[in-house]
Amino acid sequence: MNLEKVVFGFFVLLAATLNFGFFIGDIDDPAVHSVYELFGAVVVSLIATVLKFGDRTQLGAVHLATSLVADLQLLAAALVWGYAQYVSSQGVTPESMASVVSLSGGALLANLVSVVLLVVETVSFQRR
Amino acid sequence: MANPLLAFWRRLVGDDGRPPRSPRLVGDDGRPARAPLRRMPHASATQASETIFLILRRMRTPLIVLIVIFAVSVLGLKLIPGQDAQGHPSRLGFFDAFYFMSYTASTIGFGEIPVPFTYAQRMWVTVAIYLTVIGWAYAIGSLLALLQDRAFRQAVALQRFRRRVSRLREPFLLIAGYGRTGELLGHAFDALGRRVVVIDRSDDRIDDLELDSYRVDVPGLVGDVRDPGHLGIAGLGHPSCEAVLALTDDDEANLAVTMTAALLRPDLPVVARTTSRAIARQMRAFGAPSVVNPFDAFGDHLRLALHAPASYQLMVWLQSGPGAELPARGQPPEAGRWVVCGTGRFVREMARDLSADGLDVVVVKPAAVAGTPDGDDPSSPRDGSDPAQVDLRQAVGFVAGTDSDTTNLSLVAAAGQTNPDLFVAARQNRPASTPLFAMMAIDALLVPPEVVAREVYAQLSTPLLRRFLREMPARGDQWAAAVIDRLTTLCGHHLQDLWKVRLSGREAPAVQAWLASGRARLGDLMREPVDRDEPLPAVPLLVLRGEDCSLAPDGDFLLAVDDEILLAGRPTARRSLEATLLFETVTEYVFSGRRVPSSWIWRRLSRYEARPATDPTSPAPHDQ
Repeated sequence: MNLEKVVFGFFVLLAATLNFGFFIGDIDDPAVHSVYELFGAVVVSLIATVLKFGDRTQLGAVHLATSLVADLQLLAAALVWGYAQYVSSQGVTPESMASVVSLSGGALLANLVSVVLLVVETVSFQRR
Repeated sequence: MANPLLAFWRRLVGDDGRPPRSPRLVGDDGRPARAPLRRMPHASATQASETIFLILRRMRTPLIVLIVIFAVSVLGLKLIPGQDAQGHPSRLGFFDAFYFMSYTASTIGFGEIPVPFTYAQRMWVTVAIYLTVIGWAYAIGSLLALLQDRAFRQAVALQRFRRRVSRLREPFLLIAGYGRTGELLGHAFDALGRRVVVIDRSDDRIDDLELDSYRVDVPGLVGDVRDPGHLGIAGLGHPSCEAVLALTDDDEANLAVTMTAALLRPDLPVVARTTSRAIARQMRAFGAPSVVNPFDAFGDHLRLALHAPASYQLMVWLQSGPGAELPARGQPPEAGRWVVCGTGRFVREMARDLSADGLDVVVVKPAAVAGTPDGDDPSSPRDGSDPAQVDLRQAVGFVAGTDSDTTNLSLVAAAGQTNPDLFVAARQNRPASTPLFAMMAIDALLVPPEVVAREVYAQLSTPLLRRFLREMPARGDQWAAAVIDRLTTLCGHHLQDLWKVRLSGREAPAVQAWLASGRARLGDLMREPVDRDEPLPAVPLLVLRGEDCSLAPDGDFLLAVDDEILLAGRPTARRSLEATLLFETVTEYVFSGRRVPSSWIWRRLSRYEARPATDPTSPAPHDQ
């Protein structure tokens, strides 16, 4: 067992699960989308990205790309939420909530790809 | 492996027990196979980007530490309850917390906003400040250490070099080994407007590239020329690479460069320097490199200087490149005994060359010559039975050929004292000794880097010059003296410009009809377009027609279409000749003396009819 692989898999999976937890629920209902969960998703996703730095393989490059996409989507979601809460005069409306959640949905897709890659890597590792 | 299916198939089918194919260097007919051309080694290239990735990897820990510290601090601020101005409980939002942590961690510190903190919040902020300062210090420290890292900077320099070489669009010369020879050649080719890429083992030499005054940017790489990967990065596989020069002072390295170039790019000309005949033979086993042996070349030059001082003078002058002054013509000694002093390859080469000329040669050790530091020591071993003093008084020539400059200088001084009429040849080993050797009365001085540089320059600057220099010695001394006379009367004592003209339809459209007439005298072409009675200040050194060449043809030489002419002369002559070859009106005047209007209207008015200018009626100016 390789500790590095454990940490890596842990963070990739945690990023996906947190993201999923935030995403699930009515798309325009602020009550079912916790801001803490979004915060956790952003932080874990950032850590996962940094963990993927410096891998020269083709698989590693795709891993890094998916993580960067997830970061971008999650940060955009956080920005939209912050804008709605502090800048916009209407506050957090169902419309702005819907756009936050749909952005995080995009990140979820990227994170799922990441997980699939992780599984593919593991399976192909067994063959050698 | 762009296609995973293909890769899978190859893995399934490819490994069926056959041995892996090794690249075949020799084809069935015993000749080198051409297959490896596209297989440029990129090992070192990938290594370069690998280094950058590895170093990026080293930033992982600091970055993760920073992210975690920030996340913990922000989350704590968000969770810890506070109070607003009215005393109602309230909490910071994530944005407020992040904002506060950002300016606090970066030591900017705007104060407690949006409302003053409670004590619980302040306690947490105290912890967070220390945490974030440590995190930042760690991250920035790692980043700075990374930028200072030697491996990282080398990798960055390699990347930059690779990009500069791959962006070269003009033809360039690849110089492996940037010593004194490389520097001389680099400047000579730079003056000709040719691009150069340099690779050398020592980073001092590559740093010197930046300080040297080159007209165009010269990419330089610190690398081992024996490594095919480094040569590949330096442009061996580049389509614009036009020649490879192996000029290191290490024969083995030069052999390695020759081999690499011959195997990977059999189409490229290679010029290699060596002082060993054995290495030269090994080099010739790979393709057809032109091998320059400075000792051998100096021996040949010395023989030429002894037989034909004017030919030698002309050769040195033409090889020295544009701007060189006419060197003095040497006075060869009469036949007699030659004393060659020293040991090693140079002395063996000299003795062989001079003996081959029928001269009486004696090889002695430095100790056998009186007046040198160890010459008076009776216990020092003496080579040959003759005492040194007798040797030098009866000799006509003396060669100081040890590999120490101080010994050579004292040998020359001692020889001059013993016999002032001696023809003295000496070998200079280090560039720094130049002023010392210049003050001694030396008739022929060997500076190996300069000999190599002149030879290579003659080979690569214009192929016609090389041909001229090869054929010239056979014409004899008087012929060479006549050519020098023509050059000095027309162009002065400084060599101005050497250039090539091809009488093809593209380069000389205005004279095609004249050339086809069969009465195209060279003397008619060589007139000033301003005043046709004046000869053009240029001398045609060589006319090449197919494989035949005529050296220094006179005015009655008949030109034909597609002849190539090598000319030496003033830059103004070059421009004038271009005008004659390109513009029909100029051609008409130069050939016939008729001034022809150049505009269409004026031609109509003067009823000029275009006629092939085939008949130069007036007598030629004095034939050149």
